[in-house]
Amino acid sequence: MNEDRRSFIKKAGIGILAGIGSAAGLFPALSLEKTVLPAWDEKPEPGKHRWGMLIDTRKCAGNCKECVAACHFTHNVPDFGNRKDEVKWIWKSSYEHVFPTASQQFQSPGVTERPYVALCNHCAEPPCTKACPTEATFRRWDGIVSMDYHRCIGCRFCMAACPYGSRSFNWRDPREGIKLASTEYPTRMQGVVEKCNFCSERLVKGLDPACVEACPEQALVFGDLNDPGSEIRKLLESTETMQRKPELGTKPSVFYII
Amino acid sequence: MKRRRATLTKKLIMTAAAVLILVLAGVYAFRHEESQAEKIAAPAAAAVDSSACIGSKEYMRANHMRVLNEWRHSSVRDGNRVHVAPDGRKIEKSLNTCLNCHSSNRMFCFNCHMYANVKPNCWNCHISPMEAP
Repeated sequence: MNEDRRSFIKKAGIGILAGIGSAAGLFPALSLEKTVLPAWDEKPEPGKHRWGMLIDTRKCAGNCKECVAACHFTHNVPDFGNRKDEVKWIWKSSYEHVFPTASQQFQSPGVTERPYVALCNHCAEPPCTKACPTEATFRRWDGIVSMDYHRCIGCRFCMAACPYGSRSFNWRDPREGIKLASTEYPTRMQGVVEKCNFCSERLVKGLDPACVEACPEQALVFGDLNDPGSEIRKLLESTETMQRKPELGTKPSVFYII
Repeated sequence: MKRRRATLTKKLIMTAAAVLILVLAGVYAFRHEESQAEKIAAPAAAAVDSSACIGSKEYMRANHMRVLNEWRHSSVRDGNRVHVAPDGRKIEKSLNTCLNCHSSNRMFCFNCHMYANVKPNCWNCHISPMEAP
């Protein structure tokens, strides 16, 4: 049914355009994403950078969902309004869901009752990439665990392998669930797994991830974990931080100040 | 005896007629109708298009899908996002590089794909020139 509708809309569009005729000058230039050349020409050196994030949960306000809204708009993440079809790249959850294996007991109620931001941890030892039979998901040269949606066959092994629930499956055509579409980024299609990409498309342009930029409290700090002079490294050295399920040995690149 | 021969002749005639009909049908079905066949018009050329492509028109017509595949692999897997054209120009390896350059023609991609009845699945995810605002 969806396919029919899509093809009908396409054909109707062609009909309208044909009706207008060959007046190509009438059409304005497309407002697709402008392409920019990155600063480097050649292949990047593998392992030189390792992108990471530090989330200061003390600053994160309870009901604010700016980071989620910004990310999901930027990447055309659909919202179908039900848990079964839910697709999420970044979300807020409770302490016991984000840190179910935390060794600290008897935390203060202020700590256990706050919501916590969760996203893909971009692990240094990602279990998902090892489960993927088609190498559709892989760890990039800069530490980002990336998805090649062209290769994904929708087997969902990676979802079973990820201990953080960071991956979502497109049970339905995601375009039905996008209310406000961004033309800067593609959508996905039915039958593929998707997840946070650490805004690799923005990093190429020298921008910070959308969630970091959107946070009104500046609770999210993004930077290169391999650069000893970076802000994130200094904060990691000066503050006590936590990771999600560190005992699994996945070496997450996302850290939390509790 | 006479009657038997008559039945045999009748059978023979019937078989011959059946074979003749089949042969005629076959000839009719497979004969070339070049004189009567309606020629399908060649796809309309783009009204205004870029003259500064990364390759010749002939090369791009035959190989654009290989170029896109190669671009995807090297940029997504190796992080090598810059294509150097034969004349030394540097271009970002992106589908949007093509679409932005050919932005004056919304039927870019579709004219030829419809003519050749090729249905690439690019537009399941990527925003097609027709859907672009």
